[in-house]
Amino acid sequence: MNRQIQDAYIVAATRLPVAKRNGMFRNVRPDDMLAHAIRAVVAQVPGVDPALIGDVIVGCAIPEAEQGMNIARIGALLAGLPDTVPGITINRFCSSGLQAVADAANQIRLGLADVMIAAGTESMSAMSNIMGNKVMPNPALFSGDENLGIAYGMGLTAEKVAQEWSISRDEQDAFAEASHRKACAAIAAGHFKAEISPYAVCDHLPDLTSGEVRQRQRTPENDEGARADISVEKLGKLRPVFHAKGSVTAGNASQMSDGAGAVMLVSERILKEHNLTPLARFAGYAVGGVAPEIMGVGPIVAIPKVLAQVGIRQQDLDWIELNEAFAAQALAVIKHLDLDPARINPLGGAIALGHPLGATGAIRTATLLHGMRRSGGKYGLVSMCIGTGMGAAGIFERI
Amino acid sequence: MSQLHVKKAAVLGAGVMGAQIAAHLANAGVPVVLFDLAAREGDKNGIVRKALDGLKKLDPAPLANRAVLKQIDAANYDEHLHLLAGCDLIIEAIAERMDWKNDLYAKIAPFLSSTAIIASNTSGLSINALAQGLPAAVRPRFCGIHFFNPPRYMRLVEIIGTETTDAATLDALETWLTSRLGKGVVRALDTPNFVANRIGVFSILAVMHHTQRFDLGFDTVDALTGPKIGRPKSSTYRTADVVGLDTLAHVVRTMQNTLPDDPWHSHFQAPTWLDQLIEKGALGQKTKGGIFRKVGKEIHVLDLGQQDYRPSAGEVSAEVAAILQEKNPAVRFAALRASQDPQARFLWAIFRDVFHYAAVQLESVADNARDLDFAMRWGFGWTQGPFETWQAAGWSEIAQGIAADIAAGLTMSAAPLPAWVLDGRDGVHTAAGSWSARRQVYVAPSTLPVYRRQLFPERVLGAGGVGPEQAGETLYENDGVRLWTMPAVDAGIGIISFKTKMHTIGSEVVSGLMAAISQAEASLAGLVIWHQAPFAVGANLAQVGEVVAKGDFALLETYVEAFQRTALAIKYAQVPVVAAVQGMALGGGCEFALHAARRVLALESYVGLVEVGVGLIPAGGGSKEFVLQAAAWAGRTATPNELMAFLQPVFMNIATAKVSKSAHEAVDYGFAQATDTILFHPDELLYVAIREARALAEAGYAPKPMARGIPVAGRAGIATLEMTLVNMRDGGMISAYDYQVARAAAVALCGGEIDAGSLVDEEWLLAVERRLFVGLLKNPETQARIKHTLETGKPLRN
Repeated sequence: MNRQIQDAYIVAATRLPVAKRNGMFRNVRPDDMLAHAIRAVVAQVPGVDPALIGDVIVGCAIPEAEQGMNIARIGALLAGLPDTVPGITINRFCSSGLQAVADAANQIRLGLADVMIAAGTESMSAMSNIMGNKVMPNPALFSGDENLGIAYGMGLTAEKVAQEWSISRDEQDAFAEASHRKACAAIAAGHFKAEISPYAVCDHLPDLTSGEVRQRQRTPENDEGARADISVEKLGKLRPVFHAKGSVTAGNASQMSDGAGAVMLVSERILKEHNLTPLARFAGYAVGGVAPEIMGVGPIVAIPKVLAQVGIRQQDLDWIELNEAFAAQALAVIKHLDLDPARINPLGGAIALGHPLGATGAIRTATLLHGMRRSGGKYGLVSMCIGTGMGAAGIFERI
Repeated sequence: MSQLHVKKAAVLGAGVMGAQIAAHLANAGVPVVLFDLAAREGDKNGIVRKALDGLKKLDPAPLANRAVLKQIDAANYDEHLHLLAGCDLIIEAIAERMDWKNDLYAKIAPFLSSTAIIASNTSGLSINALAQGLPAAVRPRFCGIHFFNPPRYMRLVEIIGTETTDAATLDALETWLTSRLGKGVVRALDTPNFVANRIGVFSILAVMHHTQRFDLGFDTVDALTGPKIGRPKSSTYRTADVVGLDTLAHVVRTMQNTLPDDPWHSHFQAPTWLDQLIEKGALGQKTKGGIFRKVGKEIHVLDLGQQDYRPSAGEVSAEVAAILQEKNPAVRFAALRASQDPQARFLWAIFRDVFHYAAVQLESVADNARDLDFAMRWGFGWTQGPFETWQAAGWSEIAQGIAADIAAGLTMSAAPLPAWVLDGRDGVHTAAGSWSARRQVYVAPSTLPVYRRQLFPERVLGAGGVGPEQAGETLYENDGVRLWTMPAVDAGIGIISFKTKMHTIGSEVVSGLMAAISQAEASLAGLVIWHQAPFAVGANLAQVGEVVAKGDFALLETYVEAFQRTALAIKYAQVPVVAAVQGMALGGGCEFALHAARRVLALESYVGLVEVGVGLIPAGGGSKEFVLQAAAWAGRTATPNELMAFLQPVFMNIATAKVSKSAHEAVDYGFAQATDTILFHPDELLYVAIREARALAEAGYAPKPMARGIPVAGRAGIATLEMTLVNMRDGGMISAYDYQVARAAAVALCGGEIDAGSLVDEEWLLAVERRLFVGLLKNPETQARIKHTLETGKPLRN
């Protein structure tokens, strides 16, 4: 057990629906998505004065261009938070959103703040290249073999994992099909309603006939990526993308997406003063490293580490949000740690719901906490694999 | 009508032909409205949109590039007929039903502009009859306009006037089709199936008839009736499968219904086996099975004897193969007639019956023999039409042979040869013109001014004329090039023509070009690099291979440097050098074109830097030119050192040896510039290139000074490109050696292994290219690639 001064509690967690890349949010800026998530999460705890917020920590995997210039501060100001509330953008690639939650919790746990906002935002539509607007790797990567893995695209790392952990194409496709099936069922059952804050999109489009600017208003309420018409047969027809003789396809990899999510964390003092009912207690968070070329198995390191930190066993976890960057890596992690598939991603994962990189950690935290509130259970875990070879895992305790 | 300007066109009917005709109009920069019926459900333009989507997938590509698709508007007859008012040319291409066409004409008539030309792409219906469906005021502007599939690639367009068509309208249309769309126009008479299909379909029927008579396999017949006798690779039966057996049967039925008095009428029916295939739904390529079908990787052919498919073999007998190798057509035909080999007898029979048919029908289907021969060249891809083949084989010998076979009852019809055939003539094509059976005179080629733009127009055999190799006045000549002028066109503009096979660039071309450019600078106002296609397939690999074999790499470096100096000489000549590009311009050919002051490109230009195929990189200044393009592009932006957005696609093109599929794509890839001229008729290339050179000279042309202070992407850029390569190599998509070659291309494009943003000059860039090129030549893998390509003509992946 680690030592800390006090506990941090999550009192609100929300997110926007996740859009496909160049989908329903293609004209929406990442800072606007962020501001919306912050506004929504603050509104869910009306008793707490926003001026009490000690910091806004925002995860973003590609903090450049539209997402640059410390998007956390910009998002906080756009959300209407007082000027006195600061903001910091952090980057741990795909775990940025979860890292933000952990960092915010730690501020409270250390007694440095009483109220914190943790968030994540990412618009992959805004990025001309999925690795950023200007990819400029260090020439040293190519001078020998030892650092070559850093240059690997994520898909190729998934191929390496599939090979090393003997994950077949059929297994991957079946996993992908299940992700869509579970996601569709969850959407149909309204399971995401509690966590989603619908976002009003206003497109400004040229009407070439009239010469007028046409405004189109929409307020999407559901995630865009889940497909009811998917089947193992259809998935089986897709060609591998990253290796000539590989097994990773567009169908069994996570979708590129746009999205944002935010959570509010408070100290016990605030909890009592405002008589708030927490969604959960933040129990712990760990990160660890693996070789860059098998980055997908990062959770194999992080999950045991966080379990030890919190002092619970794997079987104590009632709900696991294991990010599906690729079916291959998710299956390798499940296989290696002998995780119970029945407790993993009961509402589907990133293959169906999408993966807006730095936002996903915050988004899946919201999914876990609202899901556990609905279905019961004590401990829940959110885990992410991370580019260049890392894994992260956070544990939340429902109280 | 003196001159036709088509500011906008409409195509009615978005079927296979309509959509592709619209695509070709768009290729030529003509905005098009493509109409079809309103869809009953959903988007009312759904039918047209589906057809437009289909254009992107067709192979060979009907679109010169994707961007031209934006020039085509989807429309339907319910909502958009008013758009016709703005169209200068309306091409109807709906299904072959007189009643449907008449209904449509009635519907569109009120919306037509008073000057628009209206033309039907019918292949079977009477144009005169169709004209009756239009108001009298429109009829002078109505005619037939018969394209061949695929319309971008098939040269032929038959235009068919009616009794009421205005002659000037037809002239204007012919002019426009020739120059703007690059077509070979044949004026056809209003007879069933017009010219090419009438003769061509008869030829197919004759092949079918004699296949059975001589009991030959379909595969054997295809081996006999393809390139060996100057016809397309798909030969006869494979073509039938591609066209669709049902379509073929339909055309044959049209002949049966519309030509009751044709002496060959009894043959205008599909053979039983063809009907049986159609009944079974085996319609050819579109149903994945017809006369041929693919079984795994094997091609199987229908065997009528076995009533089943068997692996396709199709071998030509040794005797016939030897006969077909004979260059002299008279000797060849005599040998065919003398042979008892069934394959030889078959070949003679199919030639004889087509000659017989063409001779008898010439009077009714075409104005003259040249039109008929061109129709077969341009519409069916024959290298020679029937009359020129006949004439080359000895007119009277063949005529007597046909007459004898008629008398012996061997021909498909007993119709006698027309008297003019046997009047003691040597043939139907002469220097003065070609025989018109209708008018009983020799008719000279068209005198429409548009044909003056074709300095060396296509000629039928027997029409005489001087080819470009002998034409003009020679100013300089060596083994590689000839520098000459055409004083009648412009005595001040020199023409450099390569003399090598496939216009490869060897030391003789390099030295010849240097000498020719020096001479031009002394005595001419401008230069054009022109010869018939291809522009150049690249450097002479055999020469490179020889020096590599000797291991004399110092000599190779000198050789590469000479190549680079020549490219620079083209670029910095004191007179403008215009490259007239058509067909392939690969490797060194592409590099020379890149260095020209201006390019004039035929639509069908296939340009690319393909050096990686033989384990090399562009080192004739090709990489350097792209570095300069990148710097110029970035220099116009707010971030003049940000070169990678430009270089990344260029790198991928070079690393994958990408070749443009049109002049438009050549511009897209940076092998040509948006300011260059694209021409649709390749025979106009020389005329326009000379005019361009003259215009540049008159405008006071001076070469730009050599580029200096060029920012390069350097080591950081190389790493960025290398990142892609690592993923391709470790993803099993390229070999370790592909990686090495592509990395060298990356280094050249990034200006060497120096810091990003370093400023260099052209000499530096050439030295980088040169060192990398010679370095690669030292590798056994590159040497193996060169050897393999020289031996097999194919690239080696090692």
